[in-house]
Amino acid sequence: MRIVVCAKEVLDPDAVNTYAVAGRLEIGEDGRSITQAAIPRLMNAYDEQAIEAALRIRDAGVDCTIHVVSAGADQADVLKQGAAMGADEIASITVDASSLDHHGAARLLATYVEHVGGADLVLCGRQASDDDQGVVPALMGEALDMPVVTIARAVEVTSGAVRVTRVTPDAEEIVEADLPAIVTISNELGQPRYPTTAGRIAARRKQATALSPEDLGLSSDDLQPRAVLTKQFVPSVQGNCEFLTGETPAQLAASLIERLRADQVLP
Amino acid sequence: MTVVACTFGAPAASGETEELLTVARKLSASRETALRWLVAGPAPRPQLEELATAYGITTIDHIDDPELEAVAPDASVEALAQYCASRPPATLLLSQTFDTRLVAPRLAGRLNATVMMNALDLEVAGDALLVTASAYGGDTRAVYELPGDRPHVIAIMPNATTPEPPPDAAAGAAPVIEDVAVDLSAVEERIRLVERNAEEGPRLEDAQIIVSGGRGLGSAGNFALVEELAEALGGLAAASRPIVDDGWADSARQIGLTGKIARPALYIAAGISGASQHMAGCAAAKTIVAINSDPDAPIFRYARYGVVGDCVELLGELTRALR
Ligand SMILES: Cc1cc2nc3c(=O)[nH]c(=O)nc-3n(C[C@H](O)[C@H](O)[C@H](O)COP(=O)(O)OP(=O)(O)OC[C@H]3O[C@@H](n4cnc5c(N)ncnc54)[C@H](O)[C@@H]3O)c2cc1C
Ligand SMILES: Nc1ncnc2c1ncn2[C@@H]1O[C@H](COP(=O)(O)O)[C@@H](O)[C@H]1O
Repeated sequence: MRIVVCAKEVLDPDAVNTYAVAGRLEIGEDGRSITQAAIPRLMNAYDEQAIEAALRIRDAGVDCTIHVVSAGADQADVLKQGAAMGADEIASITVDASSLDHHGAARLLATYVEHVGGADLVLCGRQASDDDQGVVPALMGEALDMPVVTIARAVEVTSGAVRVTRVTPDAEEIVEADLPAIVTISNELGQPRYPTTAGRIAARRKQATALSPEDLGLSSDDLQPRAVLTKQFVPSVQGNCEFLTGETPAQLAASLIERLRADQVLP
Repeated sequence: MTVVACTFGAPAASGETEELLTVARKLSASRETALRWLVAGPAPRPQLEELATAYGITTIDHIDDPELEAVAPDASVEALAQYCASRPPATLLLSQTFDTRLVAPRLAGRLNATVMMNALDLEVAGDALLVTASAYGGDTRAVYELPGDRPHVIAIMPNATTPEPPPDAAAGAAPVIEDVAVDLSAVEERIRLVERNAEEGPRLEDAQIIVSGGRGLGSAGNFALVEELAEALGGLAAASRPIVDDGWADSARQIGLTGKIARPALYIAAGISGASQHMAGCAAAKTIVAINSDPDAPIFRYARYGVVGDCVELLGELTRALR
């Protein structure tokens, strides 16, 4: 069977957080993109876990070919990492990332799936940590007429079906869907494996399939963004913290409780 | 072309419906278009009427179909798609929940509409709509322009809007409820439930007091200190993501962007740095208390009271003092 994993490159969210908190996040002259060269670009962490989920399916003895596909301007690093982790096929779809919206990304990725002859299972991250939208897998689901199971912590493939363990707001549940299906992976899946030296060497030799939208039969009209990012800014946080003082932890605790009672937050 | 606010089943106690109706009413007013409230699934009509009256909504479309009683993504998408085919909205708004995170983009895909999640604010700009959405876990706000040449499906972030009934609404007339029939006979849910272990007890989303622990607790065993203080306060224990990932706390306890979104009266954060992705789940708390050994920890920017110190010691002292 064929498993396609969709992996996006994003700015390191921890670095963005650090700069934002320090009030030093730079937005470029266009007023909408983060331009800081010091912020590394990484594979979206949930997508790394999606690759891990695919590898665990293979480890469980399922005969499968794992593709990792990424759409964007320069996907070489993301794909190399996918190959080093153990992907059989890697493919880049080269587009100008700044004018690609979620609808365009979903269109490209769904068309890629058709282009390779379909997939039994498509694995995505639950959301990309740059825009947090989490809509591309569902849009692909509609385009490919596949069910979409979200927020998986474990994925198992049994004869013709996928079994997903997931945490919903009020339960932990196991659900099943017939293949082909799309599953989005959450952090509860656990740590993705670290590429081995052998994997890294093999990855260096692996050629990525380079595709353009035209190769997939898509025109610029098909990819015309429907949601255009016009502006990005760091929201201000109004701090008014009163720091409590005390000689000992017991005094600090007493002074905190006193404040909370005075504010009627505690009875 | 109308604005439609869409909810599922009985309005939740946590106030999302009130927030949604507030956003929807403002949008329809600035667009000068009609506003309809679409309720999918069985719901008590007196409660719907009361809310609609308070929020100045004159028309409720009710799909009172038992197929929509339980959460069913395929049936929900099909029902909403049929509704939109018969009464095409310019904008359909939903509250962002676990279920609408899937239903909204699938509906948009089905309708060939534009979808936007994490919306905090909407502004009309000619034919287009400007949507301010949270990005980078809350570190930034992204403003997207959605051209008006196709419908929009937009999910509103919970806890980001103050419910605001219009001042004169309560005196208004009772709303008209229209029954909307959909045909779901051809729908077969593609996701089958095999096993479900419902979480017992009260929900973090409804808690008035939450004590939450992070990596600063230092070890798995110290999570018990968080639970003890929560119990002493009559509240619930919660956690940041890293300690959930490390197994110190159950994943149902996770607060944040990818966990639970809570709005307690009191949120005590012990050994939590205050990353935006964590604050996305608790920044709406009325009073935040931060206990952190680092005086520069970002959490103090959100806190009303701060204690610089060892949270392990302080949690124990607080529990002792309250008992
Ligand atoms: C896409 C995405 C989604 C995410 N979703 C979530 C989410 O839903 N929820 C979430 O929580 N995180 C989420 N995160 C992770 C988030 O970015 C932070 O990494 C995380 O919240 C940090 O957890 P922490 O504060 O417990 O740990 P740390 O950041 O390691 O902070 C530990 C804090 O404890 C303090 N400390 C250390 N020792 C002591 C002591 N003895 N006493 C008192 N204080 C002490 C330190 O000064 C520090 O401030 C997400 C990240 C991404 C990229
Ligand atoms: N440009 C892209 N290339 C490859 N995969 C993507 C791309 N954009 C989104 N995805 C996939 O869709 C998931 C959700 O993305 P998003 O809807 O942007 O939050 C990601 O975790 C990826 O698995």
